[in-house]
Amino acid sequence: MKASKNLLYPSVFKRILFVAYRHFRVYSRHFISNALPPFFEPLIFLVGIGLGVGKYIASLQGGTYIEFLASGLIVSSAMFTASFECTYGTFIRLEFDKVYDGILSAPISPANLILGEILWAGAMKGFFFSFAVLVILLSFGIFNHFLVLLTPFIGSLTGLLFSSFALFITSFVKNINYYNFFFTGFLSPMFFLSGIFFPIKDLPFGLVILSDIMPLSHLVRLARSLCFQDINYFLWTDLFYVLGFILLFTILAIRNLSKRLID
Amino acid sequence: MKPILQIKNISKTYDHFQAVKNLSFDVPEAVCFGLLGPNGAGKTTLMKMIYGKCKRDCLPETSVQVLGYDPAFHSFEIKALSGIVPQEDNLDTELNVLQNLMIYSKFYNIPKKEALQRINELLHFMELEDRKKSKIRSLSGGMKRRLTIARSLLNRPKILILDEPTTGLDPQVRHLIWNKLRELKRQGVTILLTTHYMEEAYQICDEILIMDKGEKIVQGNPEELLKNNIEKFVLEIFDKNIQLPSEANDFRLDTTQKDMLYVYSSSFETLQKLETSLKGQKHYLRQSNLEDLFLKATGRTLNESQ
Repeated sequence: MKASKNLLYPSVFKRILFVAYRHFRVYSRHFISNALPPFFEPLIFLVGIGLGVGKYIASLQGGTYIEFLASGLIVSSAMFTASFECTYGTFIRLEFDKVYDGILSAPISPANLILGEILWAGAMKGFFFSFAVLVILLSFGIFNHFLVLLTPFIGSLTGLLFSSFALFITSFVKNINYYNFFFTGFLSPMFFLSGIFFPIKDLPFGLVILSDIMPLSHLVRLARSLCFQDINYFLWTDLFYVLGFILLFTILAIRNLSKRLID
Repeated sequence: MKPILQIKNISKTYDHFQAVKNLSFDVPEAVCFGLLGPNGAGKTTLMKMIYGKCKRDCLPETSVQVLGYDPAFHSFEIKALSGIVPQEDNLDTELNVLQNLMIYSKFYNIPKKEALQRINELLHFMELEDRKKSKIRSLSGGMKRRLTIARSLLNRPKILILDEPTTGLDPQVRHLIWNKLRELKRQGVTILLTTHYMEEAYQICDEILIMDKGEKIVQGNPEELLKNNIEKFVLEIFDKNIQLPSEANDFRLDTTQKDMLYVYSSSFETLQKLETSLKGQKHYLRQSNLEDLFLKATGRTLNESQ
């Protein structure tokens, strides 16, 4: 019985992986429309803001403005893709397409399913979107050292963080329009207040504190330190903050969203 | 022989609403068991509790055994050994037929080579073999349903759970699905299904359970239920205010419908006599069927949850 039991259903790692694989297959079906924008978006930012604004700024934190901006964009692109995937994407799979009803009728638990979502939207898409930015940066010769090649892993961390947080938000959302509050009220302000476009340390004290509380600024610091080859011990606090945040919201997402998946 | 499915005193309460009330039944192996009831009767909730998609109320008198497993603790084992066809198709519309099935074969840990072979077998079985590369969007409603059934059979389930498998399908597809379900039953698969179609219940179910407002009303073999619970014939008269001759009395009147009068009787002659006394009123004399029993059991009028 024991031996045959193992064949009945996949191990926990495989179950999580197969959920992510399902999403990957669906995503890669529309390869051109899904895989090209991540390359174009940083290009638009770099040309639009980097060249435009950068002309008036001689140097920032020991580099050009384009270098400063570029190191932040690696993180923000991962943030947006993970957030979209685990808000609108998850909601559509949950409520409209009933994809989860199908998956949960196979030997897969709600926790497996949620971890699969986070693995796909966070670790995989986060990595890919950061990687796309990196490709653009390298092809324009903005960075040319070894350490910068590690930044897609920061993209993965960013994805994990925002996908777990977005799933936690999704567990409360009854109407898809409520996500407007999340994007306009939370992500957009954070996007501008996390040191992607300008250093935060010169802002009013209240905003500096606010920025430090928000998770994105820690991820930007991690990515920027790799880009600027400026590794220091303070980064440990950023890394621990990020890992703690991921752990906390992954647990909360599993706890809250499971209730919605099982009646 | 031990039943495949044993349910004792199961209940389900949502916030302030009891969807399933203290229901018990057994399903033996290789039997087709039908759950009947109006919309909102609790059929789907009951099904979901069987494979662990829905948590039953935690009560000391409740016990549920599916293939020897309790869904509250062993839903993986149960789901690995059963096939589930939900009410709404939930195929991956971005993928084609083959890809849909390949993804699910992974969920059941079927090796790729074996999966391909099984998929060919199933597409042949559900008569979809020429649709292997088709996009889901290009399939008709009947094809989608057949594909969903094929998907639920990937893991060679011992028990197949179908929630309204033929709702909204044309007669050809419906008959095809009935035939396939009968064939699966012959192969030893236990089938549990919900339906609104009395014809369907009569055609394929060995046993039915009619439920209403979460409670069991009657249970049994469809033919025996008909024999024991309702008169054999019915005369439908499309005028409720008609005066019937008073000398005949071996019939029963059902006046709950607004404009219709139903006269039930076990004697065909009685109803024939009544028929001749009708003066031009539109009427219809026929054998009573499961639908009459269903309506007798659950009421002809709508309740608030329908």
